[in-house]
Amino acid sequence: MTLKTTPILAVSGVGKSFPGVKALSNVSMDVHPGEVVAFVGENGAGKSTFLKILCAEYSLDEGNIDLDGVKLNHCTPLDARDAGLRLVRQEPEIIGDISVAENVFIGEYPRLSFGRVDFPGMRATVLELLERYGFAGMIDINALGRTLSPAQMHIVEILRALKDGVKLVAFDEPTSSLTSREVDRLFGLIRILKSEGLGVIYVSHRLHEVMEIADRVVVLKDGVLTGDLMIEDTSEPEIIKLMVGRELAHGFNREETTTTEVVLEVNNLHSQWHNDISFKIHAGEIVGFGGLVGAGRTELAKVLFGEYAKESGVIKISGEVKNIRNPSDAIAANIGLIPEDRKGEGLILVRSLIENASMAVFSKLSRFGILRNRDMVTTVSPYIKQLEIKTPSLDQVVGKLSGGNQQKVVLARWLAAKPKLLILDEPTRAVDVGAKAEIYRLIDDLAKKGMAIMLISSEMPELLSMSDRIIVMCDGKISKPIEKIDATEEAIVNYALGTATN
Amino acid sequence: MSLTKNSNNSLSAGKFFKNVGRVTNYIGAENLSLIIALIVMVVLINSQTEYFFSGRNIFNIGQNMAVVGVIAVGMTFVIVSAGLDISVGSIAGCASVICALVVTQLGSVPGGVVLGITIGVALGMVNATIISILRVNPVVATLATFSAFRGVAFLIAPGGRSIGVLDPSLGYLGSGRLLQFGDFPGIPVAFMILVIVAVGAHFVMTSTVFGRSIYSMGGNPVAARLAGINLTKMRYAIYAIAGSLAGLAGVIVTARTSSGQPASGTQGLELEAITAVFLGGALLAGGKGTIVGTMLAVLLLATLSNGMNLLGIPTFYQLVAKGLLLVVAVAIGQWRMARSERIQAKVAAAGGDD
Repeated sequence: MTLKTTPILAVSGVGKSFPGVKALSNVSMDVHPGEVVAFVGENGAGKSTFLKILCAEYSLDEGNIDLDGVKLNHCTPLDARDAGLRLVRQEPEIIGDISVAENVFIGEYPRLSFGRVDFPGMRATVLELLERYGFAGMIDINALGRTLSPAQMHIVEILRALKDGVKLVAFDEPTSSLTSREVDRLFGLIRILKSEGLGVIYVSHRLHEVMEIADRVVVLKDGVLTGDLMIEDTSEPEIIKLMVGRELAHGFNREETTTTEVVLEVNNLHSQWHNDISFKIHAGEIVGFGGLVGAGRTELAKVLFGEYAKESGVIKISGEVKNIRNPSDAIAANIGLIPEDRKGEGLILVRSLIENASMAVFSKLSRFGILRNRDMVTTVSPYIKQLEIKTPSLDQVVGKLSGGNQQKVVLARWLAAKPKLLILDEPTRAVDVGAKAEIYRLIDDLAKKGMAIMLISSEMPELLSMSDRIIVMCDGKISKPIEKIDATEEAIVNYALGTATN
Repeated sequence: MSLTKNSNNSLSAGKFFKNVGRVTNYIGAENLSLIIALIVMVVLINSQTEYFFSGRNIFNIGQNMAVVGVIAVGMTFVIVSAGLDISVGSIAGCASVICALVVTQLGSVPGGVVLGITIGVALGMVNATIISILRVNPVVATLATFSAFRGVAFLIAPGGRSIGVLDPSLGYLGSGRLLQFGDFPGIPVAFMILVIVAVGAHFVMTSTVFGRSIYSMGGNPVAARLAGINLTKMRYAIYAIAGSLAGLAGVIVTARTSSGQPASGTQGLELEAITAVFLGGALLAGGKGTIVGTMLAVLLLATLSNGMNLLGIPTFYQLVAKGLLLVVAVAIGQWRMARSERIQAKVAAAGGDD
């Protein structure tokens, strides 16, 4: 350990707010040359925000970032790159129709006279880099981008970061698409980087990898630093405790409701993303779905809703087998879906509030295909009122409403449709605290009235306080349901990380 | 809410603007600017020539609007759904030939009209199939059928030449007039067909589940599908409507020219119709646009070329003027949208209504 050296990266007191959310507050940490610092935390703990601030994609509100003597507080992403800071992204942008060598040098092609690209020089440099970092023979430098495997794309992304003037490399979830052999190779690379005296930041969910490769671990929770420990002084359970140990101060207290009427029954569902999924949701019950991003929760919602195809398995609504091939079938089967990406998948931003809110029930509001305007107003208005959607009029273009109000418009649409099963995918994402509380109250109300609710959420307090039972997904499989009394953050995180078994 | 407080300063002015605002809301800001442009143009033309307001001339404008107007109505459906149909002019050519063939060979005018429209529907379905089932982008798909359907029109016309049709009852559709008395030249039958089509289309677009769903799918196809709208069915209906109206336009061309024309009279109609739809306030991205706007734009374009003809301005200048008009109109629309977004951002930053 070379802790007596001056840090290559020094971050002090960094804070960042988004409307209604404090994403990071007062984060200070440093990275020394030849040191690997792991960053861990739950979804939404602020890891991505921190990385984006580091490489200047977001500007910081307060604090200091110092890379080897260069202040990077308010610079452009290009400045940060020039200063020697590189990010290896989880899902690199690879251009499909150009070669590996060109992909590595994209935007910075070496030149000859008259602006000609120095292709031989480029290929030679890439070959040299491959050799130096232990990737020799793993990738054909003349292959086209679109022929690459995810692991090969990752190598291209790594070479982009390392090709010149690098001082600090940040890896964002580098192993999510790698096999264990590829992970070993990546660790080999990180050891080379260490020996070359670079600083390394390693962001990962996988604690055993962190224990293996990192020298130090920094823990974030809700945007606040909760731990900065040398690896040899800590253990996985301690890190988990630091990640989750939270008071449920802002939770919502639901009365428990239990009925025996099964609304949704899923048996042995298989799909491109899912492996043998079976569960039930009763009337009046809220079943929370926890798990990491990418565990297959959103895809499960879309399979149930007929947007994505299932390979096999049976979906029953109120005991009846339903063959759901598209969203209209799902609506006919009394299922509603509030998608995660409300702008991309929920709303028609250029159209009015009333149109957006009544879309799913157009056919109920019409006679011989002719819409009855008055019925539209009388159907939708009560929900606009109940949800306290702030709007100058029903004809307001939805794109002009605030985020919270937009989310409520999607909610209003499905309330008007009166489904038996409502699937909510991250219903409070990018919604401010006040609107959040209202949405919780409303979901609770709906359950009380007998609706079955499938609540997908990455926010622990939301999951723990709203759900009657929690099902955790990991790699397309589900855990057994955790009853409310047994539900703890540790239990959920353990299932989500795959460190606990059923 | 802070915005309305300012209007207390001058009550009468505030009231005036409020009323203007109400009128604007009812007509729609885009349509209002079209109306203003139309009025300005009419005043300008009228100041230069005494013939503009003559019955004969107004009759001509109505007559000339009909063919492109009918096609523009169909194009509005397509563009609002975020599609495009470049093949409508070629479809009209096919319909013109079919209609003439049926009338001359079978002697049935109603049969000719119905079959002309039917071939339009069929070719529209071909477009929908290429777009929905073969998943070809609408611009590419209809660019292909633009060429193919024109070829078909020449192939079905014997010898690839036009077919003379001397049937007075068919001619009535093209150049007949209603309510003619004294100096009043009457209303062109073709124009009345356009009015009926436009009123019907306006009703469909504004008041039916189908029409509202077109706006939804144009605004955001994914959200529309997740709200239960079947996009494939919608596309079939939309391109069939565009095709049927192109077919109707082809029939009117046959009636007016007393001949089934594989090309002449229907070439370039698609671009004129697309111009009118965008001028009428539709977005290429879909989700926006109205029949009223399109009709105003068709009227504006017809008035422009009529006025320039009266003033003896050569066609070449007219083409340039039409192009300029479209650019100016769309640029104004963009500017207005950007401005309203800026105002909204300011309100949000000031912690206003939110």
